[in-house]
Amino acid sequence: MSDLVTLTIDGTELSVPKGTRVADAAKSVGIDIPVFCHHPKLEPVGACRMCLVEIGMPMRDRATGEPMLNEDGSPKINFGRGLQTSCTAVVGEGMVVHTDTEAVTDVRGTLLEFQLVNHPLDCPICDKGGECPLQNLVMDHGKMESRVYFEDKRRSDKHVSLGDLIFLDRERCIQCARCIRFQDEVADDRVLQFHNRGVNLEIVTMSDPGFDSYWSGNTTDICPVGALTTADFRFGARPWEMTPSASICSQCAVGCNMTVNTRREARSGGKPVIKRILPRQNEAVNELWLCDKGRFTHDYVASPERLTSPMMRKDGELVAVSWDEALNAAAEGLQAASSVAGLAGQRLSNEDYFMLQKLFRKGLKSGNLDVNNRQIGGGDVVAQVGIAAGSDLQQLGKGDAILVVASDLHEEAPLWWLRVKQAADRGAALVVINGRSTRLSSHATHNLQADSGDIVATVRQLVSMAKVETDGTGALDAAAETLITANNLVAFYGYEGLSYEETESLAKALANLLLIQMDGEPHVGRMNNGLIPVWPYANTQGAWDMGIHPALLPSYKAAKMTGMDAVAMFAGAADGSLDALYVVGADPIGDGWMADRGKLGLLIVQELFMTKTAVTADIIFPAQSWAERDGTFTNGERRVQRYYPAIRPAGDSRPDWQILSQLGERVGAGKAETVTSLVFRSLTKAARQYKGMDYRSLGQVEAQWPVVGGDDRYYGGNAFANTAGLGKQWAAVAESKAVKQFEMDDAVSSREDGLLLINAASLYTAGTLIDKSAVLAPRMAKITLTINPVDATAYEDGDTLMVRTDRVTVQATAVVSDDVMVGTAVLRGVKAMNGTAVARLSKIKE
Amino acid sequence: MIAEKYAKEIEGIIARYPSKKSAVLPLMHLAQREYGYTSESAMKEVASILDLDPTQVLSLAGFYTMFYEEPVGKYVLEICNDLACALRGADEFVDMACKKLDITPEETTDDGLFTIKTVMCLGACDRAPMLQCNMSFEENLNEEKFDALLGRLRAEATAGTPSFSVAEKMASYAVKDGA
Amino acid sequence: MFETFAALAQGMATSFKHLFMKPVTIQYPEEKRQVHERFKGRHVLNRYDNGLEKCIGCALCAAACPADAIFVEAAENSDDERYSPGERFASTYEINLLRCIFCGYCEDACPTEAITLEHNYELSFYDREGAIYTKDMLIVDVPVNGRSTPQPVEPGAFNRAIPEMEDPK
Repeated sequence: MSDLVTLTIDGTELSVPKGTRVADAAKSVGIDIPVFCHHPKLEPVGACRMCLVEIGMPMRDRATGEPMLNEDGSPKINFGRGLQTSCTAVVGEGMVVHTDTEAVTDVRGTLLEFQLVNHPLDCPICDKGGECPLQNLVMDHGKMESRVYFEDKRRSDKHVSLGDLIFLDRERCIQCARCIRFQDEVADDRVLQFHNRGVNLEIVTMSDPGFDSYWSGNTTDICPVGALTTADFRFGARPWEMTPSASICSQCAVGCNMTVNTRREARSGGKPVIKRILPRQNEAVNELWLCDKGRFTHDYVASPERLTSPMMRKDGELVAVSWDEALNAAAEGLQAASSVAGLAGQRLSNEDYFMLQKLFRKGLKSGNLDVNNRQIGGGDVVAQVGIAAGSDLQQLGKGDAILVVASDLHEEAPLWWLRVKQAADRGAALVVINGRSTRLSSHATHNLQADSGDIVATVRQLVSMAKVETDGTGALDAAAETLITANNLVAFYGYEGLSYEETESLAKALANLLLIQMDGEPHVGRMNNGLIPVWPYANTQGAWDMGIHPALLPSYKAAKMTGMDAVAMFAGAADGSLDALYVVGADPIGDGWMADRGKLGLLIVQELFMTKTAVTADIIFPAQSWAERDGTFTNGERRVQRYYPAIRPAGDSRPDWQILSQLGERVGAGKAETVTSLVFRSLTKAARQYKGMDYRSLGQVEAQWPVVGGDDRYYGGNAFANTAGLGKQWAAVAESKAVKQFEMDDAVSSREDGLLLINAASLYTAGTLIDKSAVLAPRMAKITLTINPVDATAYEDGDTLMVRTDRVTVQATAVVSDDVMVGTAVLRGVKAMNGTAVARLSKIKE
Repeated sequence: MIAEKYAKEIEGIIARYPSKKSAVLPLMHLAQREYGYTSESAMKEVASILDLDPTQVLSLAGFYTMFYEEPVGKYVLEICNDLACALRGADEFVDMACKKLDITPEETTDDGLFTIKTVMCLGACDRAPMLQCNMSFEENLNEEKFDALLGRLRAEATAGTPSFSVAEKMASYAVKDGA
Repeated sequence: MFETFAALAQGMATSFKHLFMKPVTIQYPEEKRQVHERFKGRHVLNRYDNGLEKCIGCALCAAACPADAIFVEAAENSDDERYSPGERFASTYEINLLRCIFCGYCEDACPTEAITLEHNYELSFYDREGAIYTKDMLIVDVPVNGRSTPQPVEPGAFNRAIPEMEDPK
């Protein structure tokens, strides 16, 4: 192949793609060239000179252009006069690289001596000590003596707070600029820069709040020294003392792979506690990154407010009881009830959902099952035309297109935002359709600001334009042209400003767009093509797959009898037509769906915390948090990923699936399950799309680039090598057979007259779990209402407003800006609210 | 706020560059001319005009010695003590100058007239020791010449001659730039 | 014949000689045995003259310990509540003396000479828990002119965890 280049490194001949850097090429065959400033995910700068090697190219006769040969017939190699930085040097045909000559060894020693001129020798108290690239390289390549005086070391601030999450030790910084480059190139939050120069060069931030980025934690991972440390882990433990456990983030639909580091602590009475969370490499999901929400929202696991034993209401008071007593009472109560319904949160594992639907459908013979808050519809559409198995957003580039509709990925699913943005940087066409401009808009090729109520109409118009040959005039036409002619097309859809029904028709409209055949091939059923729903929670996909739906069974078979949906349950509780409600991992009262428990005869809650719903319950089962148990989540790309227990359960809590199956045994749903892997096995039999998966295959890994982990911490930072499974995507229907265009209902606009309120997601929005994080507390999103100046005649920036809609009443700070369209107002910082509502505003007098 | 006060000038500066952010240095000069130094609020103003993060502006102010992040005296004596100048006695000259004004480098005299700064190469190594005072070079310096310079500047200050302030000099550069 | 008697006499002479030697046994516990200077007894955690703890909670002793007898948990100092110089101090320090084999590796690993094996050999416990020596039990008394920890100090005075990095004399 012409785009491969063959070179020789230390006698090993290898072929790598054109454009590869020498350091990366060497790494790919297991030859370690030490680096500091180089990171395979960042553009090379050649700042630190650690990677200097001898690089030679074959000599050619100037007159004839023929290669010159030695006497023995081998090509003559010209090594030039000096060493070259292998992180910036691009491979060339016939190149010869020596990484172990005397000159190279000598320069490495000298360079390390130079790095240590001003680096403090406080390794004993440094958080990086033990996993520090500088430490490792000095041990491997350093000279053990220095020619400079210890007393002449530069002294600088050792405790600089860059915002609330990250601390900087200026003495330790070796000025490699990895953090700055990460913020510039990857995160696009240019809030870290160098200040001053030469020996006084230092990292600064002047954003408000300091280091204002959702990605700040990653800079501490890739920092090759201990200059950047996180607030939650600072002086928390030494790296070698901690036990890593593979896990999956439970905060959003991306499903980032991560590693939970635990250690026994005196404060927990000798039990392991979570010390920090680091990314775990999965190039198809999160690469080497984690957003700060995923990294820092783990405090809730160790919260003293956790429920630790089953409780029952006796004489009006909730008292702790034994498991058997609570389970028996629950079983009796549920069987005696005239009608039962199950309501589930969207952060449970697939196993939990499966046991819940088994308990209801098989045990209690009821189809009244739903998730707490249906925000995005179209799970059935996704099952047909979802992004194909084996896809990787990292492979999208020039000639491909990405469509993002009604979603602010930066706030809802940060990693997807990152990967979509990077695809756009690589040349993929990006079309954004939303009611307001978002962080993604500035990267968009076509930014279509649809009037929020008409997003679906805009998309339908786009689809109809894409179906016919157009002359390409007009923004919508141009966008349609771009999308339909792309080699690969991925469409994301969310729910911003849309009702559940609207998201359903949006999903269908987008499916129809993907199904349009261009040169005989639709944009479904093949790699890197298809639909991705931006689910609001980590395992909404799993809830769909497992049939937590009033009308759908596992594997999307229609149920014979349609049950009550969540809305009907809430109404039933209020008017007395529903007798018993079983709530798993949800808080309908706290979220405002129910005012109180109404006329329910029996309310059972299975939870981590004493939520507002739990307070009014008759029976409470304490559940285990995600870190205390194993299970699987299915992300928005339908990748089933396995997570592992990291710490011991709180008190007497049990995993959700176990509680549900033990209860199921008591109501005749079959013998109780004992092991998660066996639950998964029976789950694969019911949910056909999971066929062929088991815990072993989900735990399989394959080699990934860049190579991280082991002794090689300097190449990927602290990101852990993935040894616990990359997960598996289940195949959408379109991958095995043709899917027909979806029938669209007539467009119904749900818009009413008045100021339309749109709820925009914020990453750090108050909620049961994130509220417990002390580190993120100062960063929690403020409740704001953004209004167009035209609508805000009576209000000014900074006014405190009372915002009332049919469902919510909140106090918000006014922001007057023309970022939002006339007639709409964007509410941020409150828990998700569906669709649009007409808002009535009133100013609160100071 | 410079954005309002110099709206037209800023527009002109930005128009000179293909990319908006390239106008950052002239705008920082403008801000320094206005406020006497690039204060934090000044940097934030420049950043908001050019859609940059304030950190990026701060970084430039830190890199270039021509921007002052702290308030300075009326006359900034920028003495080069880079290698070549140091070989020609710049370090001793700095010591002498500091002693004379009873301040240390980066400090301002109590009367608010003089600030001494040591700076990187100004490109006049052959005429070292040298200093740059409010954008003019004073070369081949020694104690007598320095005394004379101080005397001249003091006289100017008392006379209130407005010919030699940072602001004026900057303004003249900005105009030249724009032409 | 003579040889037998000679051997007997020699043996008796040795016994007889010991009658006049100083006895090896001492009246413990009234009287305590003097140990050698480099004897490795129970650990202590040392303080600087001003009372600040030498231990910076780096846990290198725990890492070096072949018996896994040491457990350290660290926390961050502030100038208002300073335990040790620098940023880090040991908030928990425990040694399980049932596990300890008195090898002295902890002493070798310590970058601040905070932990030393001293001359106390009187180690007896009623139960296993009693064998776990906590920080309060291990740390030496506050020196005469020093203050106890945590102590408020003037800002910026003690920002080095390892104050003197001189070569051993």
